Amino acid sequence: MRDLFFVGYLGLLLLMAFKRPFLLTLVYAYVDIVAPQRLSYFLLNSIPLSLILFGLAFAGFMLSDDKKDVRISPRWVLLIVLLAYCGYTTFEAVEPLAAQEKWAWVWKALVFAAFLPLTLRTRLRIEALALTLVLCASALIVTGGLKTVAGGGGYGVMVLLVDIDSGLYESSIISCVAIAIIPIILWLANHGTIFKPDWRVKLYAAALIFACLLIPIGVQARTGLICVVVLAILFLRTAKRRMLYIMGAVVLGLVTVPFLPTAFAERMGTIKNYKTDESASTRIAVWKWTWEFVKERPMGGGFNAYIQNKIRYTMPVIDDNGLDTGEVDTGEVIDQGRAYHSSYFEMLGEQGWPGLIMWLIIHVGGVWRMEAIMRIYKKRNREDEEWVIPLARALQSSQIVYLVGSLFVGIAFQPFVYMMIAMQIGLDTYLTRRRQESAWRPIKDLRLKTSEV
Amino acid sequence: MIDNLSILLSHALLALAFWYLTLRDDLNDEAPPAPDAEPEGFGHAIRKRPQNKTKAAPDA
Repeated sequence: MRDLFFVGYLGLLLLMAFKRPFLLTLVYAYVDIVAPQRLSYFLLNSIPLSLILFGLAFAGFMLSDDKKDVRISPRWVLLIVLLAYCGYTTFEAVEPLAAQEKWAWVWKALVFAAFLPLTLRTRLRIEALALTLVLCASALIVTGGLKTVAGGGGYGVMVLLVDIDSGLYESSIISCVAIAIIPIILWLANHGTIFKPDWRVKLYAAALIFACLLIPIGVQARTGLICVVVLAILFLRTAKRRMLYIMGAVVLGLVTVPFLPTAFAERMGTIKNYKTDESASTRIAVWKWTWEFVKERPMGGGFNAYIQNKIRYTMPVIDDNGLDTGEVDTGEVIDQGRAYHSSYFEMLGEQGWPGLIMWLIIHVGGVWRMEAIMRIYKKRNREDEEWVIPLARALQSSQIVYLVGSLFVGIAFQPFVYMMIAMQIGLDTYLTRRRQESAWRPIKDLRLKTSEV
Repeated sequence: MIDNLSILLSHALLALAFWYLTLRDDLNDEAPPAPDAEPEGFGHAIRKRPQNKTKAAPDA
């Protein structure tokens, strides 16, 4: 039944997309995020759906889109360079087979991220992409929120639609992404033109944001809690009554605590007792290993190079009350092939210093560019551009939440995040072009042109 | 049950958004922006210099 639904649904989307070929790009984004082929058991499962849809989206762009408004930016060029560099490190990888496995999906994410800004040449297209990303993520977030309210959950226990551990379906990733999209949901609810901001849109947005906040509780990922705190601090910047906001946040926090499941409180408690937590100890040991590894291979070991690690670490002795006794356990914990658990170390270990620097410019550059846009448009202060500053701020907040969340999760190549990067690049190039189009021209120039004619 | 509800809700909204987008012409083409009232950047700075300001008419 579900198979037939997805086949029919895709058919419907494609039918609409043939009237407006840009929609094919959004259909690809939908397939990449929700992965309907994984939610079905046959039919879609048996065909290379992503490949077909990317081919259609590209053909739609080449055949029917106006290319005169297409612009690129330095970050776009860097995306292409990063793609080429990843290809090179895959070729030189220390674990060739494992590297090719990751390369098989990374190159698609980077190619699509590079393709997307070329198509974002109107305001409506940028908004349509934002809405698609939010609605696609909501397929997982609504189910996660409802299951959390119903009392289910647990790290690696809660099943979001399907029991797989890739893309947004992985616990830590969804809890980081769910918080990162909250600013974009708010922007859509206040400045959207596809769904005009009436009471229904605002009510749904509020419910969706609530579900987003429930995700870290439901999946019990500590990353999510850190992301919530970061986002709360970022909102301080725009809060009109800051003291009231801080007091409200503190009261809300205190009121919420008694309703949180005990398991969640216990797991979050391990953030401050990280020394006694095996998961945290492993991370620190892996990061140390990566640091040593990259000293020998500054150009990186290629994708999934962590498979080679063999780490040993000691655990403090815990007494019956759960307190650290200060003694170190005599038995060392030996582990191997532990993942990076940090996007920064993932980039450093896999792509070396050049890869990490490029990645940082692409991501931190997003924060800087959005700040630059906000400053430019604050000066311009035009009525028809009122939507710009809130969108730039939303994208900047999302980026910062991602950058902090990815300190503890290896999501350096998460396709969803690259779509947000593509949206930033698209917004940036679109606004630059529009500013040039509306630029002030002296009357004498206009006179000159008239006399030439 | 919860899964199906979530899939149905998100997919219905996405399909509705797609439908609205097919009806919008500004998806592909936008009207050019209104020209700026004042120059920006260097033009603005040059204009603001005292020697470039228009002199007031002398009193009669």
